[in-house]
Amino acid sequence: MRAPWELALLAAALLVPALGSRFYTFLANDVLIWALFATSLNLLVGYTGLVSFGHAAYFGIGAYTTGLLMKKLSLPFLIAFPAAGVLAGGFALLFGFFCVRLTRIYFAMLTLAFAQIVWAICFKWNEVTGGEQGMPEIPYPSLDWMGRLPLVGGLRTSDHFYLVTVVLVALCLWVLRRVVGSPFGRMLTTIRENAERAEFIGVNVRRYELAAFVLAGAFAGLAGGLFGIFNRGVFPDFAYWTKSSEVLIMTLLGGMGTFYGPALGALALILLNQQIVSYTEYWPFVLGTILIVLLFVFPGGLAGAAGTALRWLRRPA
Amino acid sequence: MHRRTLLILALVLLLPLAAEAQKPIKVGMPMPLSGPPALFGDPASKGAQMYVEEINAKGGVLGRKLELLVRDSKADANEAVRQARELILKDNVEFLVGTLTSAEGPAVSVVAKENKIVFIAPIPKTDQLTAPDKLHPYIFRVASNTTIEGRSAAEIVAKWPVTRVATMSFDYAYGQDVTKAFVEHLKKVKPGVEIVDQQWPKLGEQDYNPFINAQMAKKPEAIFSSIWGGFFVTYSKQAKALGVFDAIKYHFIGVGEAATPETTKSMGADYPVGIWGNSYDAFYWGETAAHKDYVARLSKYLKDEYPSSWAIQGYIGMQFLAEAIKKANSTDSDKVAKALLNLTVETPVGPLTIREKDHQANRGQLYGKTVKDAKYPFAIMKPVTYVDPTKFMD
Repeated sequence: MRAPWELALLAAALLVPALGSRFYTFLANDVLIWALFATSLNLLVGYTGLVSFGHAAYFGIGAYTTGLLMKKLSLPFLIAFPAAGVLAGGFALLFGFFCVRLTRIYFAMLTLAFAQIVWAICFKWNEVTGGEQGMPEIPYPSLDWMGRLPLVGGLRTSDHFYLVTVVLVALCLWVLRRVVGSPFGRMLTTIRENAERAEFIGVNVRRYELAAFVLAGAFAGLAGGLFGIFNRGVFPDFAYWTKSSEVLIMTLLGGMGTFYGPALGALALILLNQQIVSYTEYWPFVLGTILIVLLFVFPGGLAGAAGTALRWLRRPA
Repeated sequence: MHRRTLLILALVLLLPLAAEAQKPIKVGMPMPLSGPPALFGDPASKGAQMYVEEINAKGGVLGRKLELLVRDSKADANEAVRQARELILKDNVEFLVGTLTSAEGPAVSVVAKENKIVFIAPIPKTDQLTAPDKLHPYIFRVASNTTIEGRSAAEIVAKWPVTRVATMSFDYAYGQDVTKAFVEHLKKVKPGVEIVDQQWPKLGEQDYNPFINAQMAKKPEAIFSSIWGGFFVTYSKQAKALGVFDAIKYHFIGVGEAATPETTKSMGADYPVGIWGNSYDAFYWGETAAHKDYVARLSKYLKDEYPSSWAIQGYIGMQFLAEAIKKANSTDSDKVAKALLNLTVETPVGPLTIREKDHQANRGQLYGKTVKDAKYPFAIMKPVTYVDPTKFMD
């Protein structure tokens, strides 16, 4: 397998708790989960050419699934985590069935409409979701076995959960990478480039689009499942349109033309947000300005810009 | 090495040690500073800041200065949790004082419990915050709560010549809990009363017309509302246009601080003068010398002739924290938490005590019928009465 830098990155990620700062681990955990969420959206936006404005719906469904199973039914993480992917994927199948019948802006609007329905249910169904107050105190998975391992045994529960996140996110990204590199993934790119031609050569475009929609939804659900635990609580605004736009911004900012672009976008946006909020209460203004500049200066996103810079450096003199 | 260089080097190395001794006591405050809830959140944070500046001018607490770090929680539980965790992990705050809505309070309480950090809630009222299953050693409340507020309002409504009562509240923890407490207590003190209608708009609703029309169709004689903050402004304007207040002969009580000076001031002539309401404070109350002095200082601090009634909650929150640190003679959260139990503090609104049983302060509110007063360009409560909550707390 090519790309030892991916393994180097994985090793670096695993070493974050060794820095000893709870805040760095917290930040790294946040970035990783959002990286998975943004990459799952990129399967739609970047690879299939479908712009979804309602991707947070599946993130929210995943978060509530894992949260409810672990908190109310006390099921183990081993069941609750995959369940988030399965349920989010199931809902993506249901909503996607209608969405892929539309194109462009109509597709985007319908994804948004479904997401708002999901949000309204989370917000209103007080008995199950806790409504506006959300569902605090999602338990950490029982990771006592990690306490018996060498090296990591002495770490905190939050650090143990971080290590689990690193492994799971790496696994998910590896699967997604295999998907986009497969003949199926190539077909998605063909559809993005020219859906009509794809249809002429006998491809069932809608079915491929639906498959991509379900996959993207399922992985967003897995990201949501992790996020609910990381965030120590699940809240209805996980499924709100602002979250959908946030993840879309990450994808665009990082660069939807590349596989790791959205992950880079997640890192950049979280660091920016985090820094600005602690300096000024006019954070939306500052953040908006920075984003406009970044999007104009780097149309290919941060990853695109990095690629250009690398090529320029390697150019024979 | 040159001797002077050596001296400078030694000084530089010693500096951090000297700084260590006078490191401020950092207190984190997640508080809504944007959107309609900022009408209450912003002055609350300013009140806290005023207390911090006053005590620092007197030398601080245990020889250390207090430092307040305020963050915009956007009146959103998720955001409040995030800000609280960042304040603890990144800024290393030793205590939390803050949050406004009844969604934010319980969510941040969980963070305080996990991090073993004292958290004083100055505004959230939901009973759930300190209910037996949610109570933990680090959560304290210096706000009123929904039982106190609902029962206080019920006592007032029970005296009105009405039997058909309706309610209007937001569909979330605060609205549900305060309405439940009101209805239960009203039925107890005046068994003949009938609840003819209950409307539950969602928090932040902009269009109340459907709710108002449905409610008036049931012909209530009195209305209990807990629509709060900037939201009451929207609601009461629409209700006035539909003739609600005339139809029920101003038998209307607005809890959730519908009679604060900032609300009547911001509405001016649009305010439905004649309704009953409550408030945490009022600059015109002037009961004691301590209160008059506080209002004068606040007026100067905020550069406002009619200073906010919300500053007091931030002020009291910080006051309890500082007094507890003094009593514990330590900034260790476990010791401060113990010191807060049964602690009585002389606040500008009189002595308040945090009960050991449920970590709840006996904080009542001002109630009164709103009237026009020639002295002010807006309505005030007159006569204004402080309702002592002690008898309503169990």
